[in-house]
Amino acid sequence: MKIQKSFIVTAFLLLPVTLMMCRKPGTFNEDEIDPRLSGGAATVFDETSRAFTHNINGLDSRDLHVHGLGDSRFEGSFVTPPALINPGLGPVFNNVSCISCHHNDGKGTPTFGSVNSSMLMRLSLKDIEDAHGGPVAVPGFGLQLQDVSTFGIPAEAKVSIAYTESAYTFADGETVHLRMPAYTIQNAYASLPADYLFSPRMAPSVFGIGLLANIPESTILSFADENDKDHDGISGKPNYVWNPHTGTMQLGRFGLKANTSEIKVQVASAYQQDMGVTNSIFPNESSYGQIQSDGLDDDPELPDSILNAVAFYVRTLAVPARRNVADAGVKQGEKIFTQINCTGCHKPTIYTGVDVTAPTLSNQRIHPYTDLLLHDMGDGLADNRPDFAATGSEWRTPPLWGVGLLQRTNGIPYYLHDGRARTFEEAILWHGGEAAQAKQKFTELSTADRKSLMQFLKSL
Amino acid sequence: MKKFQSIWFILFIFFSITACRKAKSGGTTDDFDTLKQTVLADFVDNVAIPQYQNFSAIANTLNADVVALDADATEVNLAKARQSWKDLRTSWEQCEGFLFGPVEDDNYDPNMDTWPVDYNQLDSLLASSNPLAISDIQNLSTLSLRGFHPIEYILWGVDGNRSAASITAREKTYMISLTKDLQNNANSLNSSWITGAGNFGKEVKTAGSGSTVYSKKQEVYLAITEAMIGICDEVGGGKMAEPFDALDSNIVESPFSNNSTIDFKNNIIGLGNVYNGTFSGTGKGITNLVAAKNVSLDNKIKQQISAAVSSFNAITLSYEEAIFDQRTQITSVRTTLETLKTTLEEALKPFIVQYITD
Repeated sequence: MKIQKSFIVTAFLLLPVTLMMCRKPGTFNEDEIDPRLSGGAATVFDETSRAFTHNINGLDSRDLHVHGLGDSRFEGSFVTPPALINPGLGPVFNNVSCISCHHNDGKGTPTFGSVNSSMLMRLSLKDIEDAHGGPVAVPGFGLQLQDVSTFGIPAEAKVSIAYTESAYTFADGETVHLRMPAYTIQNAYASLPADYLFSPRMAPSVFGIGLLANIPESTILSFADENDKDHDGISGKPNYVWNPHTGTMQLGRFGLKANTSEIKVQVASAYQQDMGVTNSIFPNESSYGQIQSDGLDDDPELPDSILNAVAFYVRTLAVPARRNVADAGVKQGEKIFTQINCTGCHKPTIYTGVDVTAPTLSNQRIHPYTDLLLHDMGDGLADNRPDFAATGSEWRTPPLWGVGLLQRTNGIPYYLHDGRARTFEEAILWHGGEAAQAKQKFTELSTADRKSLMQFLKSL
Repeated sequence: MKKFQSIWFILFIFFSITACRKAKSGGTTDDFDTLKQTVLADFVDNVAIPQYQNFSAIANTLNADVVALDADATEVNLAKARQSWKDLRTSWEQCEGFLFGPVEDDNYDPNMDTWPVDYNQLDSLLASSNPLAISDIQNLSTLSLRGFHPIEYILWGVDGNRSAASITAREKTYMISLTKDLQNNANSLNSSWITGAGNFGKEVKTAGSGSTVYSKKQEVYLAITEAMIGICDEVGGGKMAEPFDALDSNIVESPFSNNSTIDFKNNIIGLGNVYNGTFSGTGKGITNLVAAKNVSLDNKIKQQISAAVSSFNAITLSYEEAIFDQRTQITSVRTTLETLKTTLEEALKPFIVQYITD
């Protein structure tokens, strides 16, 4: 009898312990999470010009070696083939190395044809799609204009930019000067068809894309509202694009129109189109069939080991931490960012999926401020050149992490797909289409709230 | 008597306690605040600007030497031009100890130090009827045809033993324009820091008090620290590592002049100039700031910089040969660089964040 009693007492004592073990851990209060960790565990604390250039934590020595190799090749200048080191440049190209356009792994300068130019011009024929719904190349020029060439070879054409300025004055009297670019394609080596489409693009920052690649497709699709069923004026549409590497249609995540689905394809395409360096994914010269073609039987020019190392390098670049997050102005700006519904597209918090190969990128709570979807941005920003599902006025929401550091990494910061905006105010004022309501609310903010919003963006 | 004893006891306790008080290190907060400002001013006036001025002056000499070589192709004139090239290289590599500001924002590095040389384009250019004047050089579409390394290639030749007589007239014309181009870049880099021109020096000196680039002193100190970390990493983890790992002497940066090891060492000497505030004059450096709060950290950093610089002396062969025959010595240099980099990252950077908050 005594034994039974003690058994019951023991059982009662064990019961709460057992029940507590079964309790699900509670979710963290928002205030308990360090708001500086824009990239979760893949965040780096550096606010200098090198803020975008660091590897994520948690790489083993082999991975660090590959990252380092990719880093040096990202910086390496290519030269004309045949050559012992970095062969394959040209004959026509836009720049000689990755870093020339992605200055300090960030953005670049909105100019064409100079050694530090980060602009390129996409081309295609009007009113026609290829078998996968993608743009169709302009005969003799391809899908991208190469405006630079090796010595003695004609470039495809030159591009000049002319800006027309207009002033916008806020109710408090502060004036912002907006510049509208107009592009002229001149000195083409051959005649261009009468009706072709072109789209200027400035090189975006390359850090953090390992995290973006790891966002579950279901998460991205959950943001989509193609027919604007919730009537908030914002739709959000996924782009589905052809992946020449896998030979399948996939959800586009990268590129200014989300026209690329895989990091390696993005890198391979930049090598072949931007630098003229052929590789296993794009084995033909960008000048294939044109008079500039070098006729060398050396393709692919880029070894797969380098392509893989550079793809690994950009995949494993960390996101810089936010700064001044406790400032009252920054906190107020963050509230306004939500109140005027910038967060409708620039999603503040997303969880990445599980990837056992990269723990720092896996299951991370990140703050990219993008939904990776396409949005109509209005006529002012339209390039009028469709790219798979993206119409001529749709652009992918660009991530905003790191925008507050662009002045450090680039000297002069330039924003938007063509670098026309030089300040956050200018960039916001160019928003139209689905973002018109948010822009309108922005213009109606008090001076103090507008400044707070700028402080918040500066803290990213 | 008892009363007298207790007074002595109280006095004893008082002195014992005060004797245990830590001595003040680094003087008052005011001193440290002044020092923070002085170190920035001295960095600009004694380290950065004098080094860019020196770089610019040697660039002028190199151009003059190449002009003299063109006028009179003697071995003596060739040797002079080669020496000036090496001197300019020394200066440039030391300036790389502080790669931030205009040198980075305005792409001076690719404009002067693009590597590798594009031999195919270089041959086509020399074989063409291009006049090779300075304006023609500046219009070239690729930087691999400009800067240090095409000049090095012509002055030394592939095997490093070129004779003065074998340098062709067109090569000399090309080299005159290349050195002039380098001179222009060096002059404009120098101007970008000085008063009356770009005045970036002022942006550094007024960090936290009017600078348009650095809203806090901490920001510029972090920029300086990151630049030191960056050069350690570039030398140990990049420029030395790549040819070493690949066992490929073709990837060595200054292959024609066999100057690579000296290049590497000068990068770290440049880092030391920044930390110690040395190059010209006798001012204050980051060393004084660190010593004011943490003498042992300062000693550690100074010792590690000095160990890193002298470790290069163990590499007695050209770097092209050393990657095969002096692997132990190279590994040891890379270890000292890694140690220094780790200290800068894990001790100096937190020091800056902790003590320079304004």
